[in-house]
Amino acid sequence: MREHPNGFHVAFVGNPNCGKTTLFNAITGARLKVANWPGVTVEKKEGTVEFEDEKLILIDTPGIYSLSTYTIEEKVTRNCILDDDIEVIVNVVDASSLERNLYLTLQLLELGKPIVMALNMMDVVEERGMEIDMHRLPEMLCDIPIVPVSAIKKRGLDILLHAIIHHKEAVTLGEVFSYSDDLEDKIKKLEVIMGAKYPNHSSARWHAIKLLEDDEEVSEEHPVDVSRIVDKSYSRQIIQAKYSYIDDIIKECLFNKSAKEAGTDRIDAILTHPVFGVPCFLIIMALVFLLTFTLGDWIKGFLEIFLEWLQQVVSTLFDSAHVAVWLKGLVVDGIIAGVGGILTFLPNIIILFIALAVLEDSGYMARVAYVMDGIMGKLGLSGKAFLPMILGFGCTVPAVMATRALETPKDRRRTMLITPFMSCSARLPIYVLFSGLFFGKWAAVVSFSMYVLGILVALATAFVANLFDKKKNKNNLLIELPEYKRPNLRSIRIYVWNKVKDYLTKAGTTIFIASIIVWFALNVGPKGFVLEPVYSFAAIAAKVIAPVLKPCGLNMWEVVVALFAGVSAKEVVVTSFTVLFSNAVNGASLYDSIKSVYPSFSAANALALMVFCLLYTPCLATIATIRKESESIKFTLLSILFQIGVAFAMSALVFNIARLFVG
Amino acid sequence: MGNINLWDAELNKEYTVENIFLENPISRRLEALGINEGTPVCVLTRKKSGALIVKIRGTRLALGKHITSNIEIKEVTK
Repeated sequence: MREHPNGFHVAFVGNPNCGKTTLFNAITGARLKVANWPGVTVEKKEGTVEFEDEKLILIDTPGIYSLSTYTIEEKVTRNCILDDDIEVIVNVVDASSLERNLYLTLQLLELGKPIVMALNMMDVVEERGMEIDMHRLPEMLCDIPIVPVSAIKKRGLDILLHAIIHHKEAVTLGEVFSYSDDLEDKIKKLEVIMGAKYPNHSSARWHAIKLLEDDEEVSEEHPVDVSRIVDKSYSRQIIQAKYSYIDDIIKECLFNKSAKEAGTDRIDAILTHPVFGVPCFLIIMALVFLLTFTLGDWIKGFLEIFLEWLQQVVSTLFDSAHVAVWLKGLVVDGIIAGVGGILTFLPNIIILFIALAVLEDSGYMARVAYVMDGIMGKLGLSGKAFLPMILGFGCTVPAVMATRALETPKDRRRTMLITPFMSCSARLPIYVLFSGLFFGKWAAVVSFSMYVLGILVALATAFVANLFDKKKNKNNLLIELPEYKRPNLRSIRIYVWNKVKDYLTKAGTTIFIASIIVWFALNVGPKGFVLEPVYSFAAIAAKVIAPVLKPCGLNMWEVVVALFAGVSAKEVVVTSFTVLFSNAVNGASLYDSIKSVYPSFSAANALALMVFCLLYTPCLATIATIRKESESIKFTLLSILFQIGVAFAMSALVFNIARLFVG
Repeated sequence: MGNINLWDAELNKEYTVENIFLENPISRRLEALGINEGTPVCVLTRKKSGALIVKIRGTRLALGKHITSNIEIKEVTK
C-alpha cells in the first residue's frame, strides 16, 4: 500500500450486487487486476487512477450489508475501512433499492470519515418511474456529497472523482441522527471513557455505538471497562433506531416507490417455481455444456489443423538449420505438442466461461441456491453450498474460496471436500480428447456424462457425510436475490478475458514447464538420453506403480506418468499423453499410436481414465487453496486421500461395467 | 393475537413481522437486513422443503425453513 507515496486511498464500500465492482472497473479501466464473481468477491482489490493532478488508489471491497463481523467478507471490509490509510470512503448505493442500502450508509456515517455517496443505477430508478429528492437526501445524511452515477453507462464518473478529491479533507459529523435519550446518554458516556483511554482515537462515536452493540472485536481491540454502562447488548434497539430513521428518509425522499418491478417477478414465477425450478436449472446447465462441447469442438478443429501445420513448419525449419535432434524433439514433440495441444481447447473453455458469466451477471445464480435448497437440504447442506459447486465447473480455486460465503466452518469444510468433484475446465481437455478418440459421435454425450458423474459423486459424498453427522444442520438459507438484468457485455468481456488470461498464463508457465519436465523424464534414463521412452527414468518408476491400477484397466506406465504429471495442472494429463505418444497431435494418429502400443486399450479403458481424472487429487493450486481456506493440513491430506480412493473405486467400477458392453 | 409463522403465510399477502425467535448470529443478520418488528413482508413463492422467497424492504430474500418457521408475522388489517 505504501508504493504510491503521492496517492491517497479511497475505499469503495457497498452492499453486495450494488454495482460496486462495475463502478470500480469503469473508473480504473483496464487496470483491473482480478475478475469478480458478483457477491462472492472475497478479497479487496486495488486499482489506481489519476484525476485533476491527483493520484487516487481505489480499493474495491467485498459487498456487505453491515459493519458487524459475522461473515469473512464483513471482516475484510471492516478492517480495510477502519485502516487509517483510507482517506475517503465511497459508499456505492443501489438507488433502486435505497431502503436496504441506507443501513450501511448510516453505519459508515457514524465512522466520521469523509464519505462520498455514489448513487448507482439511477437509470433503473428512472426506468421504473421512481423519483429521488436529491436536495432532501443529502440534508438527511450529514450533507455528504451525493453523486448520481451509472456504472454500466459510465455516467457521472468524473463528477464522482471530483467530489472525492474535494471532499477528502472534510470530516463528516459523526451524528447523523439521534438515538433515544437513554441510548444517547450512554453513547456520550462511552465516548468520554474511550477518549480518556485512547486519546488519539478517531471515530469515537462509532466505537461507542459498537460497544453498546456488544461488538466482540471492538471490545477486544480497545478493552475498556464499560460494564456499568453496557449492562446488556443494545444491538436490537440500535438497529431498529437506524431502520426507523431510514423509514423517515424513504418517506421524505423517495416517490412512486414500487411502481413497476414486475419483470423480475414474472421470470421468477417460472425459474423459481416450486416444481419447474429444478428442471429449468437442469435444462440451462445442459444447454451450457451442449454449447461448450459442440460449438467448441467445431472451432477446435480449425486450431488443430493450424497446430499440425506449425509442427511441420518448425520441424522443416529445424531440419534445414541442422539443429540437434534432441532439441528438435523437445520443441516439436515436447513444447508445441504439449503447450500447443492445450491451446486448442481454448474455444471450449471460452464458451464455458461466457455461459457462466451470463448466468452470474443476469442474476440467476443466486436463484440456484434457492432452487437447489430442497435437494441440498436432504444432504445436510444449505442451497448456498451449491454456488461454490457451480463455480467449480469453471475453476476449483475460486470455488473453494467462495465457500467463505457459507455460515459455519462445518458447512465450509464439507463443501470444500465435494467441490473438487465438480469437473473444472482444466479437466475438460481430457474428456474432449479421449471421448473424441474412442467414442466418435457419442463424444459430446460421454464428456457431458463426466460432469453428471462428478455432481453425483459430490452429492453422494455430502449425503454420506451427513449420515455420520450427529448434529444435523438447521436450514439457515439466507441469500438476497437481485433483480434480473440483461447481462452487461463489458462485465462479461472482462470476466472471460481474465479467465482466458489465467488459462494462457498457466499454459505458458505451469504447463510449459511440466511439458519440458515430462519430456526430459521420458527421454533421459540411467544411461543418458534414451531412444525409447520405455528406458527412461519416468518409465522405470511408473512401471512399479502401474500394476496397482489394474482393476481400473489403467495398468500402463504411460498413464501413471500422465496422472502424476497431472497433479501440477490437470491439462498436463493431456500434454503428457501427446508427448508420450509423440508425433501424435491430432486425434487419429494419437489413437493409432496408443493402439500400436496397447492393442487392448478400448473405450472402456478410456472411460475409466476419464473417470479417474475427474475424481482424483485436484491440482496443486487447489490443494494449496484448500489448505489455506480450511486452515488445516490434516483436513487437506485426508481430503486428498479420500479423493484418490474415490477415483480408484469409481474408475474400477466404471471399467468393469463398461467392459461388459465394449468387450 | 392472530400471529402465524412466516412459513404459513399466504402468498402475495401483506404481513408485518411481529417476533423473531432465532439464535444470535442469524437473528442479528436478519436484523441488519432490515427484518425487525413491524417490518412489512410479503411471501412470493414457497417450496415444499420450507424455503421461501420473501419481499422485504424493496428486495427479495430466499430464506430457509429454520428461519421461516421461527419468524412470527401478523396480517395487515386494512
